[in-house]
Amino acid sequence: MKVKTFHEYIFTLQQGKKRFLATRNLSPGSQVYGERLVQVEQAEYRIWEPKRSKLAAMLLKKLPSPFTTTSKVLYLGSATGTTVSHVSDIVHQGVVYAVEFSPRTMRDMLPICEERPNIIPLLADASKPQSYANVVEPVDVIFQDVAQPDQASIALSNVQHFLKPGGYLLMSIKARSVDSTAKPDTVFKQQLITLLEQDNSKLELVKKQKLAPFHIDHLGVVVKKTE
Amino acid sequence: MNVKTWFADIEINEDGSVADCRPCSQDVQQLAERLLVFQADPKQIPPARFDPVQNAIECGFAAGETEYYSLLQQTCIAATRLKIKNSYSPDLRIIHAVEALDDIDEAANLLAERLGIWYGEHFPEAGMLTENLAKFVAENGLRQDLQQDSQFHEAARSSVGMEMDAEDGAIIKAFAADLTSLYERRHVIEAYIHKNMKQLAPNLDEVAGANLGARLISMAGGLQSLSRMPSSTIQVMGANQALFKHLRGKASSPKHGIIFNHPLIKNSHPKIRGKMARALASSLSIASRVDAFSGQLNPTIKEKLDRKVRSIKGGSK
Repeated sequence: MKVKTFHEYIFTLQQGKKRFLATRNLSPGSQVYGERLVQVEQAEYRIWEPKRSKLAAMLLKKLPSPFTTTSKVLYLGSATGTTVSHVSDIVHQGVVYAVEFSPRTMRDMLPICEERPNIIPLLADASKPQSYANVVEPVDVIFQDVAQPDQASIALSNVQHFLKPGGYLLMSIKARSVDSTAKPDTVFKQQLITLLEQDNSKLELVKKQKLAPFHIDHLGVVVKKTE
Repeated sequence: MNVKTWFADIEINEDGSVADCRPCSQDVQQLAERLLVFQADPKQIPPARFDPVQNAIECGFAAGETEYYSLLQQTCIAATRLKIKNSYSPDLRIIHAVEALDDIDEAANLLAERLGIWYGEHFPEAGMLTENLAKFVAENGLRQDLQQDSQFHEAARSSVGMEMDAEDGAIIKAFAADLTSLYERRHVIEAYIHKNMKQLAPNLDEVAGANLGARLISMAGGLQSLSRMPSSTIQVMGANQALFKHLRGKASSPKHGIIFNHPLIKNSHPKIRGKMARALASSLSIASRVDAFSGQLNPTIKEKLDRKVRSIKGGSK
């Protein structure tokens, strides 16, 4: 397979006509969720499936990636840690603070944290950023995938607490969990208004893009904090 | 300003510089407990642009970034472990028991159907079903093995069923014995739920009955979450398809979900079932709240429901 750099430390593997998104495995030899491992020239890559990860879908839908190898990332809604593990591959010299509310899914993520030195697990409620404010440092990127009705305001309160000036917020808005009966476009518009049209929120929309066909009724959003 | 981070108590001046810093020891368990105390009740939060990493190194908690992050990760993993361990509530046992009951029902129905067809080929005159049939076959085996004094002895002699030999008999008898033990297990679990519901949720047990009460807890995901539900949710819980059809504007709203299984609704005339469901659901939500927050049996809930039921029935005549 031929390896090309997609973005800093995110790769694409070419096999015939098929192209896969992948990250270089931080703990070689071990799988996190049954993903394919591919060995190319002394390095091991983990195939990153866009149907299973909103972040992968966002990248493939050409939303800009703000990650560098030393980024500090606050990840809200880490679930069982599948996408978190790829982020941890990318920011291999940085840190990922992974916030998850459900003890049951956190139980599945703990073994991943023990294998990867740059994931800090936090079993806490993302809508209460105060409760982890004594642990998390100012971060370069906030990624949010929480599927909550008040997604935008959760993102906003975390941005105010933790995002550095010039930092980026990436979020995937799931229309069906905000309002299961309203039209997705109406929900997206209303969530973006909550997010961007606050006085002195200092946020600026960089790009938005629907995540179909990978995820239906999801909107990927990249937002920059201006100062 | 006095702030608390996971590793130290820090005194910060007006201009943001550090006046005083008292770092904790590097004992991971102690740090984890400190973290959880803070998480439960966040006080003295560091200001928005406070950099804990630099601070920890300057005040001597950690020698460098590597040590800082390693300690932070160990602490957070330890804290998360503790929190997961304390997150299991006693109603989880009931939830698993109820779900086990459902699984047993599904499996037992499947096996009972098979036994009915199988043994029916051999002895169609027996005319029994499910648990009775399983017990009968497990005890007696094939029809030629029946005792003289059995009430089926005569029917067995003149049966039109297929002949089976001893090998068939052994297999079908063992199969029936497995099924019987499944039914027995079901009774044991049911008794367990009845006993535990009386302790865990005495009011819900009284108003709904142990089975329905346990099922409500299981569907809500716990007694706490059930107690936080509005009674209109409890009323239609389990009628998801009908409810969403209604919300899409394509049907009238469902009157009852799982609570239909309560005799008050099941045995009522269809015309008053909607009223009954509303009354029952509101009593159930009150009962679940009393159970979740006080745990004491309060007989007035049932009395009030009975009064309401009488007035609904009286009004319908």
